[in-house]
Amino acid sequence: MRALLQTFSWQELRHHPWRSVAAVVAVMLGVALAFSVHLINNSALSEFSQAVRAVNGQPDLELRAVQGSFDEALYARVANHPQVAMASPVLEISTYALEENGDKAQRQLLRIIGVDALAVASVAPGLMPLPGKDADRMALFAPGMVFLNPAARRVFTSDRLQLQDGLQLRSVAVAGSVNAGGGPLAVMDIAGAQDLFGRGGQLSRIDVRLRAGADTRGFIDTLRLPAGITASAPGDAAERVSNLSRAYRVNLTVLALVALFTGAFLVFSVLSLSVAKRAQQFALLGVLGLTGRERLQLVLIESLALGGVGSLAGLLLGSGLAALALRLLGGDLGGGYFSGVAPTLQWSTGAALAYGTLGVAAAGVGGWWPARAAQKLPPAQTLKGLGLAPGAGTGRWLSLLLIAAGVGLALLPPLFGIALAAYISVALLLVGGITALPWLISLLYDRLSPWVAHRLLPLLAVERARRVRESAAVAVSGVVASLSLAVALTVMVASFRGSVTSWLDVVLPADLYVRSTLSASASDAAYFSPTFVQALSGVPGVLRVSSLRTTPLLFDAGQPAVMLISRPIGNPAKDLPLVGNALPVPAGQVGIYVSEAMVDLYGARPGSVFLPLSQAFSAFAKASTTQPATDLIANQPFYVAGVWRDYARQFGAITLDQRDFERLSGDTRVNDLALWLDGQAPDAEVQQAIRRLADQQSGGGALLEMASSRQIRSMSLKIFDRSFAVTYWLQGVAIAIGLFGVAASFSAQVLARRKEFGLLAHLGLTRRQILTVVAGEGAAWTVIGAFAGLALGLAVSTVLVFVVNPQSFHWTMDLQVPWVRLGLLCASVVLAGTLTAWLAGRAAAGRDAVLAVKEDW
Amino acid sequence: MSLQIRNLGKRYGETAVFSQVTLSVAPGEFVAIVGESGVGKSTLLNCMAGLDSWDEGSVSLNGADLGTMGDDQRALLRRRHVGFVFQAFHVLPHLDVAQNVALPLLLLNQPDDARVEALLQAVGLEGLGKRLPQQLSGGQLQRVAIARALVHRPGLLLADEPTGNLDPTTAAKVMDALIAQTREHGAALVLVTHSSAAAARADRVLHLSSTGISA
Repeated sequence: MRALLQTFSWQELRHHPWRSVAAVVAVMLGVALAFSVHLINNSALSEFSQAVRAVNGQPDLELRAVQGSFDEALYARVANHPQVAMASPVLEISTYALEENGDKAQRQLLRIIGVDALAVASVAPGLMPLPGKDADRMALFAPGMVFLNPAARRVFTSDRLQLQDGLQLRSVAVAGSVNAGGGPLAVMDIAGAQDLFGRGGQLSRIDVRLRAGADTRGFIDTLRLPAGITASAPGDAAERVSNLSRAYRVNLTVLALVALFTGAFLVFSVLSLSVAKRAQQFALLGVLGLTGRERLQLVLIESLALGGVGSLAGLLLGSGLAALALRLLGGDLGGGYFSGVAPTLQWSTGAALAYGTLGVAAAGVGGWWPARAAQKLPPAQTLKGLGLAPGAGTGRWLSLLLIAAGVGLALLPPLFGIALAAYISVALLLVGGITALPWLISLLYDRLSPWVAHRLLPLLAVERARRVRESAAVAVSGVVASLSLAVALTVMVASFRGSVTSWLDVVLPADLYVRSTLSASASDAAYFSPTFVQALSGVPGVLRVSSLRTTPLLFDAGQPAVMLISRPIGNPAKDLPLVGNALPVPAGQVGIYVSEAMVDLYGARPGSVFLPLSQAFSAFAKASTTQPATDLIANQPFYVAGVWRDYARQFGAITLDQRDFERLSGDTRVNDLALWLDGQAPDAEVQQAIRRLADQQSGGGALLEMASSRQIRSMSLKIFDRSFAVTYWLQGVAIAIGLFGVAASFSAQVLARRKEFGLLAHLGLTRRQILTVVAGEGAAWTVIGAFAGLALGLAVSTVLVFVVNPQSFHWTMDLQVPWVRLGLLCASVVLAGTLTAWLAGRAAAGRDAVLAVKEDW
Repeated sequence: MSLQIRNLGKRYGETAVFSQVTLSVAPGEFVAIVGESGVGKSTLLNCMAGLDSWDEGSVSLNGADLGTMGDDQRALLRRRHVGFVFQAFHVLPHLDVAQNVALPLLLLNQPDDARVEALLQAVGLEGLGKRLPQQLSGGQLQRVAIARALVHRPGLLLADEPTGNLDPTTAAKVMDALIAQTREHGAALVLVTHSSAAAARADRVLHLSSTGISA
């Protein structure tokens, strides 16, 4: 076998290096992309988790409010508990900061963490304030003193900062640093933070370290935590970070594996043609005593060698790409989950082995069918040049079985929050569809054949495609694989874009939007007061003002926060992008409208009462500056009256009428304002008047974020297009690989058919006519490839739109098929395939016709 | 159709294949060309069809000088007036027997199923039109090639070792079919062969050597 590899296989490689290089490059790209995405995500996740651990420390337990903050009275109870060794109170506030005398429009998001310096050192040493050289050692306890972490120090170099509270700015001094990693944060004394932001007596969480031997569960039970406060292990915070980005990371990896999939097809294509071309040599070896099993081994080793070289190169390239991406982009690949993180590369031998094996396995799978063909070829028939008799067509049942299994898997629920079954379904649909190609080809061309019986050129093209359908299938399988992926991505992106556009129409009804913050996490610190909102109605040009309040709620410590949105709801069907009809709200209950993610993640089904919100409102009542009647909110049932589509918040949002929210929470603060203008005054003038009003009231005119609905819509769609730009590149690469497969196939076929062309030249066919035959075959094959790719792509897109997206991101979308674009895509693939075949044919057709017929068949 | 060759010479680089070949073939005449391997018999046949180039002399079919024609003109001339039979049959494996025979008619845009069927019957392949080449024997394949060579009623038939791959009995039957059909169609036949039995049935036998051709 070794001798055969060194002579027989090596000679083939030497004679056609570029074909083998193409297969190696395809495997290399697939492995490199998948491995680099894995390395980048893992490095970012590791760095992010470290940052979370630095901020959260290593307590045994965290006590947290479901919503915002809770009464600090609990702290005394916890700290004095006999099982508690140390309790560290924390107040967290996300707000905006700018350097003193800096441009207000250039404010930066900053996380403020108020700590007790005496307690924090033992629980979260990363947050221990370290006074600067010139700072007073007692600055740790002084109000108005902040300690910045390295990320914040990179943003703010000045010694004085201004922090936003509502529409006002509070001055603080930078007294030193903290070591915590991650995004920008500032640590200050907890009492100073409470005073500065008007949160007297409130805490965000208490980190608890228990005495040795204490029972955690028993401790929680004895505490009798008030409603709205949860106890969780600190690991949940890291898990939350992982959950937040998991679906996105898995999708990126799957997208990268698509390249490996097309790489496997290129290996399949290259080796199939190599076997077809060497059929007589294999037959001769068979006659000389090489068994079918040995022929299979020979081709399989060739494919595994290609995969091995490709994988090795892919791992090297992937490591390089990951290092480069981490240096240039940080750890964020576009999802925004890891922005602000600057991780170092975390190379993993295990992952390298896994992805390397995947590359070799992909090449092995690609090489399996050609290897089987080499095993099965009949030596005597092949030596005569008469090839294989048409197959019996038993393979179609396997194809149909794969397709049926694909459909079945698409109906399964997600596993561990990942659309795993749906991804396997997509793979089975693709493989089933592609392996069904020979059957599809005979089905179509058997019917077409009588129509071209008397026209030579179409006859030659159709009969060859029909009778040598396995070769035709090999040639077009690359096109089908790449086109189906391109069609699936195009339909998915078009459906998503169309649905987002319709969604924007509903969620942006007003002319102008004014926001206190662009970050939901800062909604408690950056807000509009009721007096400001009231005064806005009097601004010239403003017809009507509608306000909106957003509040994060942490229902599950292992999940990201859910956004509670309070806004006026007159007619839910008109005001919200509802999926289905709104239900009538039973008397005595408060109607809420939940996003689709709430149904998936928290089981908030329409027609049910959502209990976790009642607990959250208890916390509201305790934390609110205006105390509402406690009786009013006790056991207040919240009835899920409808489900709406939300493309802005992947992990859930709840909308309820503003009057209900204010009545139950006493919170009259507002984060977003929607303004309907009378059209008399230009938008710019109205915006200036609003800023002037804010300046008059609090000096915070420059802190307002304003945009027209047109600007927001255009910006949103621009961000959408930028996010999906990578899919267009991927489509281009996939189609280029597919066309390379067609080119390789036709070059080999044309070379193998030189005698046939020689005969046609003897019979009087001109060179142009021979080229027309080759181009006609290219057209005939790629037309069927385009049809199959289109059908398969539409099937895959249905799975992506109706299964993968809802299971991964918890939102649905309407299937929108851009027929014109798909038609152009298919037409350009057919044109490119035909042109490729014609170019391949030019090299051999019509030349040496005389010599060609002299060669033995 | 008449064939005129005057002082034809062919070289591969410095090596002369043949030179000073002069011959004429009258319409309906059967001429056999014999000679040692490597003297250029097949090359001469290809020159007659305008498939190969030559270094000196001329080749004319019905008075038309092939040397002055372009590739496409020669192809059109072959299409209408010349038929070929090869030693290795050369049938297209993905076309059935009838489609293979019909090729020249389709090239001329004159499909004629009855004519194809008649030719198949004439060469003893009646009822085998729908079979694929893989399902035929060597003798049957050569008869397909003969039917294909004659289906469009060419004036000149060029046969290169048509019985070289066949056993003596089958070879005799194939030669019978070839000669009978050529005579019936009134075509001229130029046969290149090593078989003295086949050559013996020709009207004239010419010996090709590196210095020329002689009777």
